[in-house]
Amino acid sequence: MKFALFLGCNIPVRVRQYERSARAVLDKLGVAVVDNTEFKCCGNPIRNTDNKTFVLMAARNLALAEKQGLDMMVLCKCCFGSLKKAAHLMKQDSELQEEVNAVLAREGLRFKGTVEVRHFLSVLYHDIGITDLKEKIIQPFKGIKIATHNGCHALRPSEVTQFDNPVAPVLFDELVSATGAQSIDWPLKLECCGAPLLGVNDTLSMNLTEKKLADAKATGADCLCVACPYCQMQFDSVQQMTASRPKTSNPLLSIVFPQLLGLSMGIGNKALGLTRHMLDIGGIASFLE
Amino acid sequence: MFYRIALYAALAVFGIGLIYKISGWFRHRLGIHDPSITTSTRFSAALKGLFAVLFSQKVVTLVRVFTMDVLFQARILEKDKLRWFMHMLIFASFMFLLLTHALDKIITTSLFNAYYLRLNPFLIVTGLLLLSGIAIALYRRFILKVPRLKTSAMDHYVIILLGIIMISGIATESTKLTSYNHYQNIWNIHILACLLGLAYLPFSKMFHVLTTPISLLVNAVMDKNSDPVNVMTRQVMELDACTHCGTCSNRCSVAVAFDSIRNGYILPSERMRFLKDYVTRKNIGTQGLAAIQQGIYLCTNCDRCTVACPAGINLRDLWFNVREELIQRGHPVSLMLTPFSFYRGLHQQTLDPEQYNTPIKQAQIALTEHFGVPDKTADVIPLTSANRDFKKSAGLSTLAGTYSHCFTCENCSTVCPVVGNYEHPEEQLDLLPHQIIRSVGLGLKDLAIGSRMLWYCLTCYQCQEHCPQGVKVTDIFYELKNLAVKRQDEPAGKQGMR
Repeated sequence: MKFALFLGCNIPVRVRQYERSARAVLDKLGVAVVDNTEFKCCGNPIRNTDNKTFVLMAARNLALAEKQGLDMMVLCKCCFGSLKKAAHLMKQDSELQEEVNAVLAREGLRFKGTVEVRHFLSVLYHDIGITDLKEKIIQPFKGIKIATHNGCHALRPSEVTQFDNPVAPVLFDELVSATGAQSIDWPLKLECCGAPLLGVNDTLSMNLTEKKLADAKATGADCLCVACPYCQMQFDSVQQMTASRPKTSNPLLSIVFPQLLGLSMGIGNKALGLTRHMLDIGGIASFLE
Repeated sequence: MFYRIALYAALAVFGIGLIYKISGWFRHRLGIHDPSITTSTRFSAALKGLFAVLFSQKVVTLVRVFTMDVLFQARILEKDKLRWFMHMLIFASFMFLLLTHALDKIITTSLFNAYYLRLNPFLIVTGLLLLSGIAIALYRRFILKVPRLKTSAMDHYVIILLGIIMISGIATESTKLTSYNHYQNIWNIHILACLLGLAYLPFSKMFHVLTTPISLLVNAVMDKNSDPVNVMTRQVMELDACTHCGTCSNRCSVAVAFDSIRNGYILPSERMRFLKDYVTRKNIGTQGLAAIQQGIYLCTNCDRCTVACPAGINLRDLWFNVREELIQRGHPVSLMLTPFSFYRGLHQQTLDPEQYNTPIKQAQIALTEHFGVPDKTADVIPLTSANRDFKKSAGLSTLAGTYSHCFTCENCSTVCPVVGNYEHPEEQLDLLPHQIIRSVGLGLKDLAIGSRMLWYCLTCYQCQEHCPQGVKVTDIFYELKNLAVKRQDEPAGKQGMR
């Protein structure tokens, strides 16, 4: 099993623990990942203002992976949704595809549509499988309640992303349960984390974040679990920003999934980047059996 | 006699140029700053910082950086071996020639008593090495065609001048024994070219022989806790340390956007060129301002340029600072209403709340200024031919064309978390999602592309997923936002894939 690893812009500089723990976990599971320093922005941030540029930016990455002859493994859910969407648009609209390819040709690239874009969680679930995954778990969690946060751009639009059932997703919960933790059902589970509006409408963005946090807490969650750098930053750095306001004390911590999985597989704190969070999540290890 | 005068004149220009340029580091300002800070405050702060470093353990860092990054140029080697080889050929040969040949009276003769050769093969060999370095530089710029590597007039001058000095120098050495006349003529060219190079140095790209080492050293010892006054001085200095090598643009995460938007300022190397000029003059036309604002805001803050810069320039902090200055200039930046704002949002606590909020508000007002809901009691919305024109010209893709399937069940508005966040959503958002879709159906352009709802859309796709009629609500919103930006940016006229 071998993939071209797509990290995007945020993970290598702001959510390094996600990359580090994902690599550690994949290594233990025998999944090979190849880095490509030529990968650039997926195009997601420019979708609001310029659709064609968005498709071009995404297509260049897709074409690079095709050139490597590898399928892509994406860690960020926004990158994932964006790459999926661009591939979908080009497959539907051959004129657009040609227009984009004419620009890519200057760099000797071409999008043919052969590359498969996969999310990290999806690879764990479908290619490794829950049964095999459980075999690697030597130190399962016990008595911890986890609120899974799916991430919008992986889940929806489902006809494009084909990640999981968009209304009643199970993939992420089953992965979390495999570590011995209990994945709880919570009312706002499928809602957005608020990150897309940070810097645009902060009150709205933080309101949405706080609502989700309060809901998860009220449902009894000990910790949030995510698999997207934007969601993680929103629940970590941004929560810390709002937590410094008197209204919200007692933060609800968030962990990226490969850290949770890694701990249960017996990988050390350092290799999982557990100290890299803004809010201290060191306490989570106390739930290990 | 003539050459003696020429030498002193060149030295004088060089010296004055040096003082002028270095004083500029303390005179010019960049980014949001306290206007009460004077040049002398900055100069003394720099001296204080310098002494604090020299008498601390950081000296070890300085020595390491000087050896590894300045002399050995490991930062270039890491990125590109051919470039390192090219630069080493030029750098090592140039230093060798400068010390043993140009300054031979001072250095070489004092070291070697018998130093006097009619024909010096070392000079010719070194000259040829340097020329081969230049040949690689030409090959990289003009034959290899590194994608998006821009060549400016300055890059030409430097290569031409170095070329002339080397060729004439080699020719001088080789004609020494054969023809006195030729020798004299070529020697004249050689000397004049050298003096020109010397006089021009502080104003040319070659100034980097002094500034790039300074940038590497300074950035190695400065950090988040450094005096903000010194940070500003450093940032002005860094503009002189940039050699326009293009590494940043090559690594830039969004450089690909340039292939479609054709705004050179998207490329960090071209922004640096702009800033060199901007820092001294500060006046730019509206169109120039719009272009540089777009260029500097179209950035994911991925840090790659900073990590890659062979001159060690802290581009991350430079962009953040200059971006703030530029977006405060009144002209609305539509990119502010996109996820490109995430990084700024993350760092809002470092900014003054009013300075932080004003440009966001401006962008939002500019994009929604045409919006106006007709008086519900009095007006009948006229469905004129203009409405049909909008629907036709809107360029809505086949995907977005699904708006016509809407039967106004309002499911989209019901599931929308943004709508759900407000008690009176219409007051905050102007229109609800289903109303926008209906506006498109009726061809009401100002309503369809003008509401705040579009810009407060999370793009979470809940509406689209839950539409029983298969209307691509979120995708339509994306297209409407594209249209609104197009209308707003049209005067700047920079759209389209070329």
